Amino acid sequence: MITFENVSFSYGSAEKPVLSNISFYIGRGESVGLIGANGAGKSTVMKLLLGLLKGTGRIVVDGKEVQADTLSYVRKKLGFVLQNSDDQMFMPTVLEDMMFGPLNYGADRKTAEEAADRTLERLGLMYLKNRHNHRLSEGEKRMAAIATVLAMEPEGLLMDEPTASLDPFNRRIVIDTINAQPQTKIITSHDLDMICDTCPRVILLSRGSVEADGPADEILRDRALLERCHLELPIRYQFR
Amino acid sequence: MHMADALLAPAVAATMYVASGTAAVISVKELKKDDNADKLPTMAVASALVFAGQMINYTIPGTGSSGHMCGGMLLSALLGPHAGFLSMIVVLTIQCLFFADGGLMALGANIWNMAFYGCFVGYYLFWRPIMRSRLMDKSGDRNTRRFAIALASILGCIVTLQMGAFSVVLETTISGITELPFTAFCALMQPIHLAIGLVEGLITSAVLLYVYEARPKMLMDVELTPAEKGSRRSLGGVIVTIALLAVLTGGVLSHFASESPDGLEWALFGNEEAGYSANMGLNEEHYGVSSSAADTASGIQEKTSFLPDYAFKDSDSAAGTTVSGLAGSLMVAAAAAAICVAGHFFRRKTGEGHGTA
Amino acid sequence: MNKIEQSISELYEIDDLAAGNSMIHRRSALAKLAVTVLYIILVMSFHKYDLPGLVPMVFYPVILFQLSGIPVSLCFKKLRYVLPVVCAVGIVNPFLDRSPVLYLGGVPVTGGMISFLTLLLKGIFCLQASFLLISTTRIEEICAALRKIRVPSMLVTLLLLTYRYVTLMAQEVLVMTQAYSLRAPGQKGIHYSAWGSFLGQLLIRSRDRAQQLYSAMLLRGYRGEFPHAQRAAGGFPDMAYTLVWTAFLLFLRFVDLSTLAGGLLI
Repeated sequence: MITFENVSFSYGSAEKPVLSNISFYIGRGESVGLIGANGAGKSTVMKLLLGLLKGTGRIVVDGKEVQADTLSYVRKKLGFVLQNSDDQMFMPTVLEDMMFGPLNYGADRKTAEEAADRTLERLGLMYLKNRHNHRLSEGEKRMAAIATVLAMEPEGLLMDEPTASLDPFNRRIVIDTINAQPQTKIITSHDLDMICDTCPRVILLSRGSVEADGPADEILRDRALLERCHLELPIRYQFR
Repeated sequence: MHMADALLAPAVAATMYVASGTAAVISVKELKKDDNADKLPTMAVASALVFAGQMINYTIPGTGSSGHMCGGMLLSALLGPHAGFLSMIVVLTIQCLFFADGGLMALGANIWNMAFYGCFVGYYLFWRPIMRSRLMDKSGDRNTRRFAIALASILGCIVTLQMGAFSVVLETTISGITELPFTAFCALMQPIHLAIGLVEGLITSAVLLYVYEARPKMLMDVELTPAEKGSRRSLGGVIVTIALLAVLTGGVLSHFASESPDGLEWALFGNEEAGYSANMGLNEEHYGVSSSAADTASGIQEKTSFLPDYAFKDSDSAAGTTVSGLAGSLMVAAAAAAICVAGHFFRRKTGEGHGTA
Repeated sequence: MNKIEQSISELYEIDDLAAGNSMIHRRSALAKLAVTVLYIILVMSFHKYDLPGLVPMVFYPVILFQLSGIPVSLCFKKLRYVLPVVCAVGIVNPFLDRSPVLYLGGVPVTGGMISFLTLLLKGIFCLQASFLLISTTRIEEICAALRKIRVPSMLVTLLLLTYRYVTLMAQEVLVMTQAYSLRAPGQKGIHYSAWGSFLGQLLIRSRDRAQQLYSAMLLRGYRGEFPHAQRAAGGFPDMAYTLVWTAFLLFLRFVDLSTLAGGLLI
C-alpha cells in the first residue's frame, strides 16, 4: 500500500538532511508505529507521504507515485489526523467540518451529511453532531478530529500523536477507536504503551534514518536500542 | 470609534456601505489575482489575533492609563492592504454581531473609518514608501531600519486615526444627530484621537519591530527583489512626496473653506450648478455626502430616497411633538410591558422556553 | 473576571442562545436578516424630534424577546458598549437646543431633551434588533444567508474561519496575560518594554498555526473554494414571517400610533 524508496529530504541545500535514504514498505491493513526522538524525522515522513513536502527518492501510495498530479488521489486514499485538533478542525461546527472533505471531493450535501452521520453513529458520537468546535472538551475534540478524517472514508489512516494531552479515560477511548478501524494505519507517538496496544509493527527513526524496523514486541523490549535513540521502555516492560 | 446605528441617518449608512463594499469587492478581486490560496488561513488567524490583541491593556508609562492596539496598520504591514482590509472587515463584523460594538447598519461606516484608512492609506502613503526608501537598505545601519519601521507605524496610525475621527464627525453631523456645531465637534474629536493614535502607533511599532527582528519575511515590502532594491529612493524623496500630497489636499480643502461660509458645504454637497446635488437626489438642506463612491451610491439612494426625506422633514423645528404624542408614547410603553408580563406568565405556565424576561 | 474572560463567556452565551429551538430560531437566517435590516433602517429614519413616532417601534423587540425566549437582561449588558458613544454625542443636545417645545404642568420640555431621548431610544432599539438576530441564528446560517445575497465567498469563508479561531486566540492571550501578571504583581497591564514581544510572539506562533491549518485544509481536498452550507430555501413560514413583519413595521413607521392613542385620552 505504501512504499518509500531511498527517500531523502532537507530544508534548503546547505542544511543537513532531515531524512537520509529512508526505505520501507507497508502492506494493506498493517498498523505501524513510527517512533523516534524529537527531530528524528517522524513528521517529515508523514508530510512527504501526503505531498506537503517534496523530497528526493520514490514514494508510492496504492500504485501511484506521490507527485504534483497525483496529490488529490493520494490525499483521498490517506486521511491525516493532526496532533493539534484545533488546527485539524476549522469549521464552526462538527457537522460542517465532517462534510468539508466529502464536499470538496464532489459529494452533494445530502451524501456528505449521510457519510458524517454514518461515521458519528459508528463511533458513538452522534451527540457531537451540531456542537461548536470551540466548545468541545479536549477529549471530545480529539474524537471529533478523528471523525472528520474517517468521514472521508480513507483507505489509510495517518495519526500524529493521537493520545497526546488526553486523560487516561479519553486515551483509552482513542486507542479502542484506533483498533476498531480496519484501515492501514501509521501512528507516530512518544506514548510507546499506546503503540504496544495498537501496532504490531514498529519503525524506529533516529537522526533521519531507519534505526530498526520489525515486530513491536522485539523493538519495544530492547532497552539498549531505545535508550540509544533517546527513548525509554514502555511502562509495561520497565519492571520486568 | 465604533459608531452605533443611532448616530447615522439611513442615507449616510447606505452610502458608507456602498463605499466600503466597493473597496471590499476590489480587494477580493485583487487577492484572487494573486492566487496564493494559503493566504486565507493566515488572514483568519491574523484577524482572530487582532481581535484578541485588542483586549490586552498596554500600560502607558507615566500616565497610569492604558492603550489598545488598532489593527488596521498592523494587518496591512503583515498581509498587505487588500488582505488586511478584508481581515479588518471580519474583525469589525464579529465585534458588531457578537459584542454590539458598533451597529449593524453602521458597519459600513465603521469599516470605512477604521479599516479603509488604516489599511489603504496607512499602507500606500506610509508603509510601502518608507519600506522601499533607502532607510531600509540592508547595507545601512540596523538602527536606521528600526527607525524606519517605527516611523512608518507611528505616522501611519496617527494620520489614519485622524482621518477616521474626522469621518466620524462628518458622518454624524451630516446625519443631523447632534446639536454640536461641526467645528466644535472636530475640536473635540481630533485632539483626543491624536493621543490615541500616538499610543496605538507606539504599540504597533513595538509589535512590528519584534516581528522584524524575529522573522523579517513576515512583513510586507521588507525583503525586496533585486530589481526593486535598485529603485530605492531616499527618505527625503519619500517625505517630499508625502508632503506634496498633504499640501495638495490641504490646498484644495482650504480653497473651498476660504469661499466661506459655504466652502466646506461646497466640498461636501457639490456645486448645485454643476448638477452635482441634483445627481445625488438631495438638495442642500437634505444633506448628502460626497465620497469616491457617491456616484455609485446615487442610484441606490434614489431608490431609497423616501427614507432621507422622512429623516429630514421639518428639520428645523420640533413642532411635531405634542402632549398627546408623549402621553400616547407612555401608553405604548405600558402595552409593551404588558406583553412582557404576559409572555413571562405564559411561558411559566407551559414550562416552555429557557429564559426569564 | 478580566476583559478577555468576559468576552469569551459572552461569545459562549450567544452560542448557547442561538442553539435554542423556538419558533424564531427555526426561521431561515435570510428572513431574519431582512427583517432586522428593515427594522434598523426604519428606526434610523425617524426624525430627531419624533419621539412619539419612535416609541411604538418597541413592539418588535418586545414581541421577539417573548416568542424566542431570549432573556432581555442579557441584551442590556451589551448596552454598555453602545450607550457611552451615543450619550457622548447626544448629551450636548439638551444644553444647546433649549427652545421649549411644550410645557408639561408649567415645566418646559426642550427640543434638546426630546432629541436626546430619541437618540437614546434609537440606540437601544437598534442594538436589541441585532442582538435578537445573532442570538436566534447560528453563525453558519448567517454565513449561508450572506452567500445567498452574494457577499463574496472569500469574505464569508474568512468570517467562518475567524469565528472558529477567535475564542482560541482569546484563550491563548488570556493564558499569556495571566502568566504575565503572575510574575508582575501590581501592574495593571503590559509594561511597554514587553509590548512588542508579547503580541509579536503570538503573531509568529499564529503564523505557524495558520500553516498547519492550511495543510489540514489541503489534505481534505481544499482547492481555493469553500463548499458553503446551502440550506433549504425559505418555505411558507419564512415567507409569512418576512411579510407579516414588513407590513407591521411599515404600519408602525408611517402611522403615528402614540398620537392616536394619546388622542383617545386627551
